[in-house]
Amino acid sequence: MMRSSCLKVLAVGALLLGLVSCGGSSGGEAGFPRSKTLYLAGSQWGDPNTFNPLVENWQAAWPVNDRFNLMYEPLITYNSLNGKFEPLLGTLVSSDPDKVVVDINPAAKWSDGQPVTSADVKFVFEIGRRFRNAATAFAIDFTKEILAEKLENGGERLTFVVNKESRNNPLVILDHLQAIRIVPAHVFEKLLSDNGNDLSAVQKLKIDKDPVVTGPYNLENYTNERIVLKRRADYWGNDVLYGGKEPAPEFIIHPIYKNNDHFAIALQQGKLDASQTFMPRIWLKKKDGVKTWYDDAPYFVPGTMPLLVINTTKAPLNDKNFRRAMAAAINYNDIKELAVSNYASDLEPGLIMNQGLEKKFFSAEDAAEFGVKHDPELAKKILADAGYKSVLKADGTLDHMLDKNGNRLPTLSIMVPAGWSDWEAMVKLAEKSLRAAGIDVREGPVDAGIYWSSHGPGNFDIVMRKLAENVTPSLPWGRFEAVMSTRNWLPVGGDNWMSENQGRYNQPGTPEYRPEVDSLLKAIPTISDEAQLAAAYRELNKIFMQDQPVIPLCYLPEQFYQFSAKQWKNWPTSDNPYAPPLLPWVGASTKILWNLQLAK
Amino acid sequence: MLKQYPTLRFILMRGGWYFITFLVAVTINFYLPRLGKHNPVDIIMGKSGSGMSTEDARIKEEMYLQEFGLVKVSGSGATREIVRDSEGKPVRTTGFEQFVTYIGMCLKGDLGTSFQKYPKKVVDVIKEAVPWTLALQIPTIICGWIVGNVLGAMAAYRRGIFDKVFFPFALGLSAFPFFVFGMLLVYFFAVGFHWFPAMGGYANNVIPSFSFEFFSSAAHHYVLPFFSIFLILAGGQAIGMRSMGIYELGTDYIKYAKWLGLKESKVLAYLFRNAMLPQITGLALSLGVMIGGALITEMIFSYPGLGMAMLTAIQNNDYPMIQGVTLIITTSVLIANFTVDVLIGFLDPRVKAGLQIGKGN
Repeated sequence: MMRSSCLKVLAVGALLLGLVSCGGSSGGEAGFPRSKTLYLAGSQWGDPNTFNPLVENWQAAWPVNDRFNLMYEPLITYNSLNGKFEPLLGTLVSSDPDKVVVDINPAAKWSDGQPVTSADVKFVFEIGRRFRNAATAFAIDFTKEILAEKLENGGERLTFVVNKESRNNPLVILDHLQAIRIVPAHVFEKLLSDNGNDLSAVQKLKIDKDPVVTGPYNLENYTNERIVLKRRADYWGNDVLYGGKEPAPEFIIHPIYKNNDHFAIALQQGKLDASQTFMPRIWLKKKDGVKTWYDDAPYFVPGTMPLLVINTTKAPLNDKNFRRAMAAAINYNDIKELAVSNYASDLEPGLIMNQGLEKKFFSAEDAAEFGVKHDPELAKKILADAGYKSVLKADGTLDHMLDKNGNRLPTLSIMVPAGWSDWEAMVKLAEKSLRAAGIDVREGPVDAGIYWSSHGPGNFDIVMRKLAENVTPSLPWGRFEAVMSTRNWLPVGGDNWMSENQGRYNQPGTPEYRPEVDSLLKAIPTISDEAQLAAAYRELNKIFMQDQPVIPLCYLPEQFYQFSAKQWKNWPTSDNPYAPPLLPWVGASTKILWNLQLAK
Repeated sequence: MLKQYPTLRFILMRGGWYFITFLVAVTINFYLPRLGKHNPVDIIMGKSGSGMSTEDARIKEEMYLQEFGLVKVSGSGATREIVRDSEGKPVRTTGFEQFVTYIGMCLKGDLGTSFQKYPKKVVDVIKEAVPWTLALQIPTIICGWIVGNVLGAMAAYRRGIFDKVFFPFALGLSAFPFFVFGMLLVYFFAVGFHWFPAMGGYANNVIPSFSFEFFSSAAHHYVLPFFSIFLILAGGQAIGMRSMGIYELGTDYIKYAKWLGLKESKVLAYLFRNAMLPQITGLALSLGVMIGGALITEMIFSYPGLGMAMLTAIQNNDYPMIQGVTLIITTSVLIANFTVDVLIGFLDPRVKAGLQIGKGN
């Protein structure tokens, strides 16, 4: 009896299973038909929390976070391939050391029919004057005021006056113009007055019900598993920017995966059209239709460099000879080949890339003269000359190090977030080659929480970071500023929060202080003469190579742009470079949406 | 007072102990994340980007400290002011003050606002995630438990070829880490044969609603996560039940029952009932580790649920979120254990006899 009832249970179970697998495969087309939907992923990892454009960038959900321009749009976009500015809500007219001039596109409209005006631009660019803790409050340090004048075509001309008393940096104003998305002043002024002019009360609103936007898509619905955007039939830019054409996909869905492997599986199965996640050994996925900018290595276009930020206040890291020895010890080729699947060309010394938009500032001569490349013997020589000694164990492996006075040095730790597998791989390889050259370092994986909270106060020996990761108009200046500026220099520890130069390089007031670093960082943004600019960059890069405040590990793309042409075709590639190698949601790459075609 | 009702007295006594355990657990859950020296606001500052001046960083940090109740505040609404010491530094609230606020809010059903998922309420995060976790874990655990125990009892009773095949198989399954098993399921049935989807709780093109479409999609996505836990759990339970069963088979009452010539199913029922007791305790324990187990399933299958919410909360020192999730876990573990305690009281003749003796006194 027992057996027969067991069998019954199993039979019913099998039947249910059969039903389920039939039901699942037949159903599911009604909501968002595949032929009208573009699936993009890699920018939203957790639950969508809020769609409020006034919160901090990382708090908002895609596509309100970061610099995405599908819902809220910036004035202009930057083409990271050719370095040109392209019009969006406005058109860049001119930029010089005193001012940046932009014309608002007279056709630009909000989804509620209101025109985009200087009031909208001023609201978000000048919010720092009313609320110092607003997310875009930093803009007023760069833009002193925005002058608006009416033009004959009905539009407005905006003059962003450089704030010479504060940062005096027109370069960063250009960064802002392509990164800060304009929000509807008429909507948010009302919300502010309804909430007693309390910004933090307004920041708590989720703004997820029919938000007023200018972009080509708007929020349709969202769950913790995906976010759905729907094409706006009345998008102002269709006529003005795209000759009356609509973007091809009616819906854009961003699935939220919790596991890196799922992006690859979904792309290979044609369930995802493009993603910006790191996928090792992408050539193995080619047969399943996964494609990249270049068909062969390096597959991607370099745009950023992950680096080891060094705490230069701590012995022996405060000795530039020690740092240079580290830079000579690391096997960059191993990192490139083994950790990042050859997704970049060879690393050159210094902080300026030898290719792309930065190429004009790169000096191969200086790199050869002042920089160090992978050379373990050189590393050992620099250490020996500076008096360091590596003590080996009986089996020939490193035990510990002694400084020039014979004192034992502590083992140095390279902090890296645990579980970020590609980063951990880079650090492990760096550790291996550093130890082989007799430098006592170890990988130190930590929880994300410890990782994020340690940078500002400088609570680390060495930390793996990716700074200035977007290709913006201010590069490579922005990269130098992020690692060398002493503008806000504070000692290590406590509440001493530094948001750049977290390794505390070049402490003012000490005998080693090099004031020329700060004067170059200050001067470069205001230099308009190309030759002068190249000379200034050369000088700054020379100091960087001499002092080695941080160690770049390899070149990486700004975004791991990979796509599948199973559902949608005509993606930009090196053969058809009509847009930069970025997903169609940011900068000058949003135009991909108007160029995509159904593959079948 | 309750001497004439020993069962009720037993339940009340147990309930009392569980309530005390609950209070201790809530207090520990509150203080544990605060023992680490890392400040949750520093994490937020770290993510808030570069380019801030020292002064801006200070203003922003104070805003968050105030928002999260980590500094003392006077006034309300737009006139809120941070209370400052003589040096102008904000006065931090002590752990005990935060605890009092927390208990007060809990009593009103408010678990606070998440730091990392700001401005989302902890209650909302839990409300969205718990149904998925429960809907996957409870049926899986119960089915795995029942099927495992029935098969284990049969293996013990029948022995022979059934046992010879079944036992190594079950042993192998139970020794399998279930994340590895989950990945194998994905590899074969999702990537290889395309029978089931590899990830998610439902298809991305379906709108969650009370429709056939949604439920069939959810059911289709349910299969692999279900089996990843079910088979391993059933294997483990079967091993335990088989050993208990073999032990019970040698006891006098079974031999006596067999000599009496009782039907096989009757003898098996006796066997089952007695061998089951430790297995019931095991059931309560597996309900307790449910959320932790859910995390692995969520990661392998990108399945919705509470595990991931807890992991990110712990990694980011998101106090309100940690408190909220651990409150749910504590409550469910205690309720499960309490239920089992009471059940054992009814099922185990020895416990029952103990209660009867209590009555005599």
